[in-house]
Amino acid sequence: MLRWMLACGLCCASLNIQASEDPWLALQKTAFAARELNYQGVFVYQNGNQIRSVQITHMNNAGRELTRNVVLDGQPREVFSEGSDIVIFNAKNNKVVIEKRRGQNLFPAMLPTNLDVIKSSYIAKLGAVERIAGRDAQIIDLVPNDNFRYSYRIWSDAEFGLLLKMTLLDNQNRAIEQIGFTQLSMLNTHELDWFQPKIDLSKQYVMEDETTVNHVSNNWVVANLPPGYRKIDHIEHIVPGKSGIVNQVIFSDGIASVSVFIEPLKKGMRAKTGHKVVGSTNICAHVIDGYQVIVVGEVPAQTVQQIAKAISFNKQPTTTANK
Amino acid sequence: MKEQLSALIDGEFDTHNADHLLIVAKSDGELRRAWNEYHMIGDVMRGDVVLHRNVAGRILEALDEEPTVIAPAMVKASRTDTKQPFFKKTAFWSVAASVTAVMFVGLMLLQQQKAEQTLVNPIEIAESMPSEYLAAHQTYAPNSAAYYIQSASYTEQR
Repeated sequence: MLRWMLACGLCCASLNIQASEDPWLALQKTAFAARELNYQGVFVYQNGNQIRSVQITHMNNAGRELTRNVVLDGQPREVFSEGSDIVIFNAKNNKVVIEKRRGQNLFPAMLPTNLDVIKSSYIAKLGAVERIAGRDAQIIDLVPNDNFRYSYRIWSDAEFGLLLKMTLLDNQNRAIEQIGFTQLSMLNTHELDWFQPKIDLSKQYVMEDETTVNHVSNNWVVANLPPGYRKIDHIEHIVPGKSGIVNQVIFSDGIASVSVFIEPLKKGMRAKTGHKVVGSTNICAHVIDGYQVIVVGEVPAQTVQQIAKAISFNKQPTTTANK
Repeated sequence: MKEQLSALIDGEFDTHNADHLLIVAKSDGELRRAWNEYHMIGDVMRGDVVLHRNVAGRILEALDEEPTVIAPAMVKASRTDTKQPFFKKTAFWSVAASVTAVMFVGLMLLQQQKAEQTLVNPIEIAESMPSEYLAAHQTYAPNSAAYYIQSASYTEQR
């Protein structure tokens, strides 16, 4: 076992030498490390005035990725993922609501495994080595080519390549969102006894109402998308608290994402307009042709504004099914 | 297991065995279907959700396929250049009936959807921004660290 670990260490060390030459190679290693390594730790997420500590356990069991995230602050909340299936145990008053979700790139697996999609929008640069969560970390900056996205500073474990910290920087280089480990250890086991929720016997466990997940293709088009952004999904669902069907079209440049919500303005509904910033998120509301359009994204104001104004209804029904 | 499922819906399920819950939540096969059926029955019994979303989707799909806009114009046009009274043809009535039915449903949907444009008095979102949009974005966008803080602004309001 010791010999194997040594071999692994040597392998990582040699990768590390290569990484210091090419920032994209270092990012590639970072993207894979989060998904392939076995680790346990605590990370802190901060956005605006919100801070949460989360305990994470991640294991790659012969290609099967299992993660347990336990939110340590505020309401008890546990997020389990197996591959792209996510199950959330969410305490609400005297109940625990079990929610099902589909795959997301959750921390620390926040970089896409196919980096080609972001290469046209960002420049990667290697920075200094800093200490994060007791480990040496190589800084890699993802600097955007234009003003339609923010930049990302990534701290990648100098030895294992694991993403230790990521900061979202606005166009004035101010940190507007941060997520990073405060404590981390590698696991050397394949036991799965940790992959179960902590059950509170005094609470009632209920499934969330399945209101969502209709993948559709319809006629909403954004004529003039900011460069680098592509439509990656379109779902139609009932947003909690809303009565009618709301369309949500999701655009992404590979790392930053923007949601566009479209719903018909009904009788008695007051239209929303204007602009708002919540932490790292820009929100823009707009009315087009009797429809309420709301654009939400962790992107600069001009990106959500451009998308909001460029939306139109295509009179020709589209025939291509998306998903 | 099915008994346990219905017990779970009725809130009688013994929750100390977590595996069951996880399996239910994650399974895609028969159990999942069973769950959906039970769940729907529960909804119907409580009187929730009368028009299921899928039904609405199917109506809209049918509207897309149906040449709703063109059909009435064509019927009108053909009426003028036929000698035999069109009204006596049963085919006309059945076509007309189906067109009317589709149009009626379409109109209902349209009226419901577009209603009047309530632009008279728009709300500035800077003053009041419904958090459900932010929550839905954080939940479904592919890359969102904010997934973890959602409980703060989102679930407490539900």
